[in-house]
Amino acid sequence: MAKYILKRIAGIFIVLFVVMTAAFFMMRLMPGGILDGVEENLSADMRDLIYAKYNMDKPIWEQYLLFLKGIVTEWDWGVSLKLYVNVSVWDILAERIPITLYLGFLSLLISVPIGIAFGTLAALKKNGIVDHAVSFLVVLFISIPSFVMATGLQYFVAYKWGWFPLIYDDSLPRITTTFLPVLALSFSPIATITRYLRAELSESLNSDYMLLARTKGLTRVQATMRHALRNSLVPVVNVIVPAFISIMGGSLVVESIFGIPGLGGITVRSINVADYSVTLASLIYYTLISLAAILLVDISYGLIDPRIRMGGSKDA
Amino acid sequence: MGETMIQVKDLRVNFRAWAGTVQAVRGVNFELKKGETLAIVGESGSGKSVTTKAILGILPSNARITSGEILYNGKDLTKLKEKEFYDIRGKHISLVFQDPLSALNPIQKVGKQICEALKKNEHMSNGEAKKRAIALMEDVGIPEPETKFSQYPFQFSGGMRQRIVIAIALACNPEILICDEPTTALDVTIQSRILDKIKELKAEHDLSVIFITHDLGVVAGIADRVCVMYAGKIVEYGTVDDIFYEPAHPYTWALLSSMPDLDTKEKLFSIPGAPPNMMYPPKGDAFAPRNRYAMEIDFEQEPPFFKVSDTHYAATWLLHPKAPKVELPEVLKHRIQRMKEEREGA
Ligand SMILES: Nc1ncnc2c1ncn2[C@@H]1O[C@H](COP(=O)(O)OP(=O)(O)OP(=O)(O)O)[C@@H](O)[C@H]1O
Ligand SMILES: [Mg+2]
Repeated sequence: MAKYILKRIAGIFIVLFVVMTAAFFMMRLMPGGILDGVEENLSADMRDLIYAKYNMDKPIWEQYLLFLKGIVTEWDWGVSLKLYVNVSVWDILAERIPITLYLGFLSLLISVPIGIAFGTLAALKKNGIVDHAVSFLVVLFISIPSFVMATGLQYFVAYKWGWFPLIYDDSLPRITTTFLPVLALSFSPIATITRYLRAELSESLNSDYMLLARTKGLTRVQATMRHALRNSLVPVVNVIVPAFISIMGGSLVVESIFGIPGLGGITVRSINVADYSVTLASLIYYTLISLAAILLVDISYGLIDPRIRMGGSKDA
Repeated sequence: MGETMIQVKDLRVNFRAWAGTVQAVRGVNFELKKGETLAIVGESGSGKSVTTKAILGILPSNARITSGEILYNGKDLTKLKEKEFYDIRGKHISLVFQDPLSALNPIQKVGKQICEALKKNEHMSNGEAKKRAIALMEDVGIPEPETKFSQYPFQFSGGMRQRIVIAIALACNPEILICDEPTTALDVTIQSRILDKIKELKAEHDLSVIFITHDLGVVAGIADRVCVMYAGKIVEYGTVDDIFYEPAHPYTWALLSSMPDLDTKEKLFSIPGAPPNMMYPPKGDAFAPRNRYAMEIDFEQEPPFFKVSDTHYAATWLLHPKAPKVELPEVLKHRIQRMKEEREGA
């Protein structure tokens, strides 16, 4: 197991390195640059000076080596070039990551139990009116993107009814001021988990081991809880990672809508103004957290499912 | 023997399916006496499993018992509420499933799955249940039961899993054991070992057994009486000797002729055609279209049961006094002759 985890971690570093390299070159090869919009006001000397300061007078591959050297020798991820000129990228990220993680985890924390509850309900009442209602909502929530939800919630709940602050407000308790964005981010993962659990559970409910459980004399509730539900929760772990990653993706835009000072908002802005170093660092952060989430789930999957833990075949 | 354990009267079960109503069981009658093994034999789809599920009240939700009674202990099981079954299943009537590979919960230790029944029905503590479970595992012939107790089903072979399923069924000393093709999924050597085990356990625990199979070869070794089922109905019943030595229904003849016979290496007889679609059960005798001895009346009117002897009845017009005398097929005559000689020799 330890060997497996080490191997996976090494894999994560390789992927990160590839992503970082590719992004570094792609961004710099794209048209536009850090002086877009101000170029006309600068003298040629000034421009050269600025380029020289950020190593941009050198060939790209040399810039890349210098960047790597900075990270390896001094853990120096560079400085912001446009948004917060000369502020260390590392500091910017360190300040913004906590609130983004807070949004993501809170949303996941809400989505998992609600999704499980709805999925169970729909499976138990399969083809009944409850099931149809749940399935209708699932389709709705999966197809409406989180930024549309966010805009709708902001307009109605915050602006029209005034129940929650319109945008992020530091002076309010965090839970109140992030309530709407978290809600907006949760619809889609709730729907995903509901749909998945409904399918898994209705299959388990019709399984032979469920019949065996009933022939032992277990009550319907006992058999459902101990056998069908427990077994169908195992594969649900599988959808939690994609759900989390899609929450992260959604928060890119949702944070901007609600003016939340998180990583999502600044990532989008840094792309718009070609603040290379900020974009690159947040990209690496997003890659890292997704890969780590996948690893975490793979490990926990092994812990829950004995067939994987002990190397048995899946179909047994 | 004598006391009736279960009496099934005119049981009819329909399935509401997407394309229409399937009449899976169409008026089945039989009774299980104390201490006997009753075999129910028939082709795939003849309604054997549905009958057993009706007895235990575990029919799927699209099934409906449209008529009939299943009498057990003065109660009609078809009228029982789910709740009332909780005290019967596992404790008084147990079922061994058709498919041992999928009957166990794949992610729960087998020991726990046995203990679950003991704790529920016998109110045992964890320690007591474990002790009893290990004894049961030993009973059904599982080597190193202590180790196996905390293993998962995927670590067991098919035969071992089937033994676990049998151990679960026997855990709470039921009076009635229903085995639904308990050995179909297993290879021949394991099959015979499991059958021996069932016989042994039956004697030890004074069980009454309903043994379901599509393999007449298995029946000879295990059953006292046999019901032959075709298209949702019983077409012939009698003692094992009645059915094997004096079969009266052409379907039973066909089944007997299609039994593999290792001694003679004759070409195997296979029954022509396929069973009818139970969404549209045919008029008259359902077996008529596949029956080489069918008469006109077979296509018109359903045959009643005719008495062959006190223990032996068959539903075929061939037994009607006015029917032409039909000789048993030659092959079958030889077979029966050989079986009789074998028995006398043994
Ligand atoms: N859930 C269901 N929905 C619809 N039809 C069903 C259902 N279960 C069984 N049937 C039908 O009932 C009939 C009898 O099925 P049953 O399982 O009792 O057969 P069987 O005699 O046990 O066969 P086998 O030897 O293959 O186990 C079949 O025609 C089958 O199609
Ligand atoms: Mg069956």
